[in-house]
Amino acid sequence: MANIQIFDPALCCSTGVCGVAIDQALVSFAADVDWAKQNGVQIERFNLARQPLAFANNETVRDFLERSGQEALPLVLVDGQLALASRYPERCDLARWAGIAQPAKLEAVAASDCCSGSRCC
Amino acid sequence: MNFLTNPPRFLFFTGKGGVGKTSIACAAAVRLAAAERRVLLVSTDPASNVGQVFGVAIGNRITSITAVPGLDALEIDPQAAAQAYRDRLLGPVRGRLPDAVVKGIEEQLSGACTTEIAAFDEFTALLTDAALMVDYDHILFDTAPTGHTIRLLQLPGAWSGFLDAGKGDASCLGPLAGLEKQRAQYRAAVEALADSSRTRLVLVARAQKATLREVARTHEELAAIGLTRQYLVINGELPTGEAKDDALAAAIHARERAALGELPETLAALPCDHIALKAYNLVGLEALRHLFDEDGGGDLAAAQAVESDPHLDAPALADLINDIAADGHGLIMLMGKGGVGKTTLAAAISVALAQRGLPVHLTTSDPAAHLAETMDGTLPDLAVSRIDPQVETERYRKQIMASKGAQLDEQGRKLLEEDLRSPCTEEIAVFRAFSRVIREAGRRFVVMDTAPTGHTLLLLDATGAYHREVARQMGGKGMNFTTPMMQLQDPKQTKVIIATLAETTPILEAASLQADLRRAGIEPWAWIVNASVAVADTCSPLLRRRAATELREIEAVATHHALRHAVVPLLQAEPVGVGRLLELAGEVPLKTTTGA
Repeated sequence: MANIQIFDPALCCSTGVCGVAIDQALVSFAADVDWAKQNGVQIERFNLARQPLAFANNETVRDFLERSGQEALPLVLVDGQLALASRYPERCDLARWAGIAQPAKLEAVAASDCCSGSRCC
Repeated sequence: MNFLTNPPRFLFFTGKGGVGKTSIACAAAVRLAAAERRVLLVSTDPASNVGQVFGVAIGNRITSITAVPGLDALEIDPQAAAQAYRDRLLGPVRGRLPDAVVKGIEEQLSGACTTEIAAFDEFTALLTDAALMVDYDHILFDTAPTGHTIRLLQLPGAWSGFLDAGKGDASCLGPLAGLEKQRAQYRAAVEALADSSRTRLVLVARAQKATLREVARTHEELAAIGLTRQYLVINGELPTGEAKDDALAAAIHARERAALGELPETLAALPCDHIALKAYNLVGLEALRHLFDEDGGGDLAAAQAVESDPHLDAPALADLINDIAADGHGLIMLMGKGGVGKTTLAAAISVALAQRGLPVHLTTSDPAAHLAETMDGTLPDLAVSRIDPQVETERYRKQIMASKGAQLDEQGRKLLEEDLRSPCTEEIAVFRAFSRVIREAGRRFVVMDTAPTGHTLLLLDATGAYHREVARQMGGKGMNFTTPMMQLQDPKQTKVIIATLAETTPILEAASLQADLRRAGIEPWAWIVNASVAVADTCSPLLRRRAATELREIEAVATHHALRHAVVPLLQAEPVGVGRLLELAGEVPLKTTTGA
């Protein structure tokens, strides 16, 4: 199974509720990561404010930071390869990378949540 | 002393700055050591004078106090602990990640949150280290986890439960997540705290109504997380004999009696000790040995006779109010630790402005709802409102769950709920309520007190983060927006006034608050030294001694800390109601001067 790594900007928590303006993308993504883990997906998140060493030790991430700055985070690597930058993946991205199907009961929500438009799926 | 009867291994002394918990912890340590117990005294007071008290340089390592056989001491500096944490985390990446990135992380880890957790992190080892249990019969802490830290302490419980249940990673543990300690060790530390056979909590207070109410809240909060074995110590009570010949001393004595007479029920049930105000300064071993004595320590007092007449001519609150009134409108924020009288001062300033026909909105987050009592009576130009932190927090939680949580599945909602239990949530909720009110300050005066420091700083951190975020999103161009942070930073719109007392610890706390404000780009406009004996008339020897020690502190405020300052006298009657608030503000002459 693919190994998904997400390199977050400096956050104090994964949903971003500690900020003044809550980013819906972060809230949803925290739930999506949780969902992926429940489904056995190998997924790791690294927070720049808490695990800077993980950023420094990964050449791809380090180069990306030098080139684009921390404003361009988050960064997603799948099996070490750059898969996505500057936005969080949708639940269907995670499912596609991991090669798993989305559970049926979530499809109604997911349809409006992530599969509208041409950007993903 | 009840609190020293059959003491368990851990004793925590808690109470707001300036109530004397370090002195009591020192005296307790000396007494236990005299009973041939092996004692470790731990101070986390950033203004720790434990070393000075014992005449030894201590610092962040266990040091033997040679003058007291059996006693060792350790000073933990929370600021230094936080710096060490930042260094540990960032040392390995400096030079490997871009400088701007490293700087950004450093800023993230410079909040009050990190400082408190770093100090707690140092604690845990002391509570769980088996070797220390062999070396010492008792470990005394001149502090205890309170407020903010309590909620953090509750988190590891939720955290481990969450992890054990395999529900994924509860994420909002803030800086805890980055600390190196084992989760098991945090759990063990919390267990030790909640175990009444191992831990005793000593609540230290003064005989003041507001302070006792605050202590009652601390008691309930700590009892709720399992620290049920609590003792109460009322420190610095004015002896009855002192009240005979002096009106101010008599008034203070009567007020203290009244406060103790209506002790909150939850406190009345606790074993209680009373320590009389001493006529000497608590410096040196000899003074400490006699702290718990019934008599006033006549010999020591005589050795420290007051040399000069400790009367002071200092700027009055009315002088500050004149400057404020000249602007016609603006945001006036009173900041400082709990118990220094922010609410009263905010009310006095509001009443004085309204009295001049200026429109004023006074708003308070004082959890004791003390303001409602203080504002017993109204003026036509004065509106009063209250921000209840609990109500705001609950409303905020519900709102987030309803909006941001709506699209989530059950598991996602649980995760979000967990994050919303974080300590930041209350600060943010209160801040949002504040930012609604402060917009009015362009039209009239908005006067606010704020809740204690931890709150305040985090609020400002949040505004700062918001400001930076907005600026980033706008790409640094088109700065035609105003964030609350920008409003607070603009001296034309906002006057931040730091309230403090003329005592060492409160002034150090106020100075550290000012340093944090400055880091956020906010320059406090003035300081108010409240409840000063030095500007009150008294012939009571005890109070005159206090006045003499105040002079040095007020001098430090005037010369080192404040751009401008005012000194407000300790009054005979509590400044409740419009009339007395006007007196306090200097709008009408003080009716009651004491015979001297």
